[in-house]
Order: sequence, then structure tokens, then C-alpha cells
Amino acid sequence: MSKISTSTTLSATALALALGTALTLSAGMAVAQDADKEKCYGVALKGKNDCAAGPGTTCAGTAKVDHQGNAWKYVPKGSCEKTASSTSPTGFGQLAAFKEKKS
Amino acid sequence: MSDQRLFTAALLDPDAPCPTGLTTWNGSDLARRFAVYRNNVVVSLIDALADTFPVTLELVGDEFFRAMAGIFVRAAPPTSALLAEYGEGFPAFIERFEPARSVPYLADVARLELLRVRAFHAADAEPLTPEQVARALADPERLPALRATCHPSLGVLRSRYAVVSLWAAHQGIGDLARVDPFLPESALVVRGGLEVQVIALPPGGDVLIAGFANGLMLGDAAALAASAHADFDLTTPLALLLRHGALCSLN
Amino acid sequence: MTIQSLCQPSARGAPTQRTHPDGLPARAGLGLKTQHFTEILATWPDLGFFEIHAENYLVAGGPFHHYLSRIRDRYPLSIHGVGLSIGAEGPLDIAHLDRLAALLDRYEPRSFSEHLAWSTHGGVFFNDLLPLPYDPTTLTRVCDHIDQTQEHLRRRILLENPATYVEFAASTLDEATFITEIVRRTGCGLLLDVNNAHVSGVNHRRNPQAYIAALPLSEVGEIHLAGFDWDRDAAGAPLLIDTHGAAIAAAVWDLYAFALERLGPTPTLIERDNDIPPLPVLLAEARCAERWIGYARRDRLEASA
Repeated sequence: MSKISTSTTLSATALALALGTALTLSAGMAVAQDADKEKCYGVALKGKNDCAAGPGTTCAGTAKVDHQGNAWKYVPKGSCEKTASSTSPTGFGQLAAFKEKKS
Repeated sequence: MSDQRLFTAALLDPDAPCPTGLTTWNGSDLARRFAVYRNNVVVSLIDALADTFPVTLELVGDEFFRAMAGIFVRAAPPTSALLAEYGEGFPAFIERFEPARSVPYLADVARLELLRVRAFHAADAEPLTPEQVARALADPERLPALRATCHPSLGVLRSRYAVVSLWAAHQGIGDLARVDPFLPESALVVRGGLEVQVIALPPGGDVLIAGFANGLMLGDAAALAASAHADFDLTTPLALLLRHGALCSLN
Repeated sequence: MTIQSLCQPSARGAPTQRTHPDGLPARAGLGLKTQHFTEILATWPDLGFFEIHAENYLVAGGPFHHYLSRIRDRYPLSIHGVGLSIGAEGPLDIAHLDRLAALLDRYEPRSFSEHLAWSTHGGVFFNDLLPLPYDPTTLTRVCDHIDQTQEHLRRRILLENPATYVEFAASTLDEATFITEIVRRTGCGLLLDVNNAHVSGVNHRRNPQAYIAALPLSEVGEIHLAGFDWDRDAAGAPLLIDTHGAAIAAAVWDLYAFALERLGPTPTLIERDNDIPPLPVLLAEARCAERWIGYARRDRLEASA
């Protein structure tokens, strides 16, 4: 980051234009947010609650039984079967070495 | 070995014998009763992961997800009673999990879901108001040297997969069959008000936000994003950030 | 009756000698579930109190605190810890105690309770309430941990009797004696979980009425009621699982009535943590508990008249 010199800084004019346009585009944001405030829980699609909070704690046991199994016996059988080209060669082989994309 | 050490070793290892020193009134096989504890621990933790990673679960199905999560739970049980934080290591585990290789984007979808839960519980902060932005605009000469702070809930995921489109299709937004999972997308995750938003960032948007988060001045962060992407357009990411309350100050 | 008036001391149940003036009202309450947040804010149901699990609210911000703050403004609050691991062999987690103290400072609940159980060992959290042997060594350790908790939180806590599936050969005391001794030594109060008394009674073939009668009932600050699931052990004997996932069973209502006869009107929580039904279903169970509390109050008044 220290390499950045003032010459690579965007001009004040370009910044003002972009920020001004952004402000116009996002206008009404505060109003929209206020209206949104109380509608969070229980209105999202069933089972796909937009406000999913992750797990909660419990002080209870469960009657659900974990059937210990070897996961390698299983193959993914979910909505991934609906996605295009899940067997595409482009997706393979690079997975293990995946790192965040550096642009 | 302490009693509780023995007890916990048997909780997580289904092949371990039942701990000694336990009794039942009728002399029945203890393993059956001890299994209740074993089951409570493992099932409740698998359930916890299922709650945090619902789209990951849908992608591979219940049976596969629970088997995969069960292996993770036994290998990396929680270290804190705050279950909302459990599962940090799950995406990296998925990435190395051989049977999940046929769904190469699965780990990144899990990363996105982790960002959502984190954003949900992050600290509250007042977003930047239009008036504050207008004040900054009133003195354009100072703009390049201003610094923006991000909302505590903000997270960015750069992916080589179409994580946002995949996630959105599971919310009933768009058709999953039409999503090409191998088109790279970057996700902005932020909580505006009470709702966590997942937004696809335009090219360079991730660089711009990383610049803000690292304390770069506005002008420098914008220049960095422009040098990273030839077609970077500053207006679009700024409008997204303002609209979703993702920035908290501009000074 | 409006909610505002319910929250006034005069509208609460006639105070009994047992109930601490700042404690929960002798009415029925519900566990606060996220599924019900908006409905509660829209309807403000007539309820004695809400109870939360402390650990769910040990997060920095967001909707949980947003809704809890609003609900806390209108109802008495009980905070129930599920992760302190009071029975652990290792030391208590001071960072966790600090977080709990901050939560209690923020929401000023009428009651804070924890469990006679352990859930953490060697830095791993097992997310279950695990059983303890009832022997002098364990008694000393549990009492030390309760002393430390009460000092750290600067308040009396209520300790909940557990539901268990196995017993320990090393136990030299029965559970009621063990709990009585804890209460005597630490001055903590008791959260009487009637469902746990029933579940453990069936699982270990003990008489749950005798068990309850042997507890230090004058120190009970709250009752829990919940549903369980049926299973069988290896010999085919009934093994009940404390799932909090079903309606309260008839046998538990009976045991509750037995307990109230001895306790008088007592704050009572309807606990449901799995398969959470619509709010009105839980409110109906709460009304049922309130009828029993009403009978107990009438009996007390008649006895004193």
C-alpha cells in the first residue's frame, strides 16, 4: 500500500462526480430503511428466512438419531444437480489449491 | 485420566467404549443409555451447522450434508458456548473433503453463509446519512484525502464461482438451472437495519472496499480499484455502499 | 388488563413469602424464540415474563438485541444460562462470566439461572448438559463454582435440577440431598424443573414426588415445564428424553400440581426449544399453568383465612 503515490490518486473532480451521482442513485435509502425495520422476521420465504441467525443454544436433548455413516458412501444429492456444468472440467483439479482471487 | 476426560472421549468417538463407573437401576446395557448423550452432542452440533449453512445443505442434500457435518463436528467440536460462532472452519473443511469435489463451489457458498451470520450479529452502527455525504461534497477539494469507515457487519467474498447467483437462486431469486456456477462473482454482505443483504459487487468493488477497510484515503482506494480493473466504474460501488448503509463515516 | 398494568408490582400475583420482591412474578412465562419476535411486538400477549438463553444474546448487536430490548421494556425478563458448565472439573471460564455479567448489567433480569451439569472439558464445548456423580468431591467443586459465579455476577443464582439418562456408581448421595446441600452451602436458589424430575424419575425408577418433597422447596424461585420424547433402554424399560420438543405431558402437569401445592404460586416457564409451534399454542400452555397457579393462590388464601 505504501507504493501508492499521489499521482495514482483519483482527481477531486472525478471523485466528486462519482460520489454525487452515487448519492443521487441511492437517494431515498434512509426512508426505505425505516420502512423495513420491523418486517424482518417471519415474512421471508418459509425455510429460507432472510434473517436466518445461525444456530441457537438449547438446554434440551434430541430424539433425532445420528446414523453414523461413511460420508464417502454418499454423493451430493441436492439442488447442485440442477446447476449447469457441475461436472465441467473447468471446475475440477483447481479446487484444492483454491485461494482468494488476486486481481 | 479424569472422569470427565473419559466421558468426553467416548462422546465424540462412536467406536470408543462407554465410560466406566456408570450404572442403571435395571442393569441394562449402558451403551444404549450413554448413546443419548452421544446423540445429543453430535446431532445438536450438526443441527447448528445446518442452521448456519442452509444453502450449503440444500446444494448437497440433507443426507450428504449431515454425514459431512458429522465428520467435521467430531474433528473440530466448538471451543466456545457461543454457537453463533461455530463453523468458522467448516468452509475450509468442505474444500478438502474429497466426496464434495463434484460441487467445487460448495466451500465458497459456505463462506458466504458464514459472512451472513457474522453480519447478522455484528455490532450496530449508524450508517452515513445523505446529509453527511452532501457536506463532504460541498468541499470537493478535500474529497481525495477523506477516509471512509465500513459498517461492522460488512464482509466481502471474492470467489471464482457465482456465489451470489447460486445463493440468490436458493432464495427464490432467479432460476438455479440458468446459473453458470463457474462465472466469478464477488459478494458484498452487509446488514442495513435488521436485514442482512447479499449483493453482487461490480468489478473492482471488492478492491475499493478493501482499500476503505485498510484505511486508505478515498482517492487512493479508487485509484487502486481502477488500476485493478480497466472497466472500473466508481459510481456503481459507491451507490451500492450508500444504499445499503455499508459506510458509517466519511472524514 | 393491559400489559403495562401487568408489569406493575400491584398487578402481579399476591407476593408470597418465598418470592423475592425483585424476582419474577408468580405467573406463567414463555421462552423467547426468534420465530415469535415480530408477533410478540404486534400483539403484546398477556404473559408473566419471557426467558432467554444467555448464550444466544452474547453477540455484539443486530436483530436479537433489537427485539429483546423492546420486549424487555414491556415484560419481566429471566435469563437462563446454558453454557457456564458449573459442574466442570476444570475452572470456570472467567471470560464467559464477564460476558454474562455484561449481559445482566444491560438487561437487568429479575432472575438468572444455570444448570447442575457440565458441558465444557479441555476447552471443548459439547452443547449438552452432562451428568455428575453425587459425591463429596463433586459437591465441593460445584459449591466453589456457584460461590464464584454469585460473586462474579453479584447476585443470587437459581440452580436447575437435571434430566439424566445414566447414574454413577461413585455417587454416595441422592440427587435431592446433593442439591439441598448445595443450596445450604452457597445460598443459591432453586429452579425446579418438573419435567426433569419426571424424566429422571422414570429413567432411574425413582418416585418424582418423593424427590420433589425432599428438595429445599422454600428456595424455589422458578419452575420449568416442558415436553419429552419416549424411548426404551436396552432392557426395554422406558427411557424418556428431555427434548423440549412436545406439549407438556399429563404426568408432568400432575407433578406440577403436586409441586404447587407445596410451593404456593410460583413463576412457571413453558419451555419449548425444538419443533417450535405457533405462539398461540404456547400461550395456551401458559394459560393452563396460570390456572394451576391461580388454584395454588386460592388455596393459600383459604389456608391463611
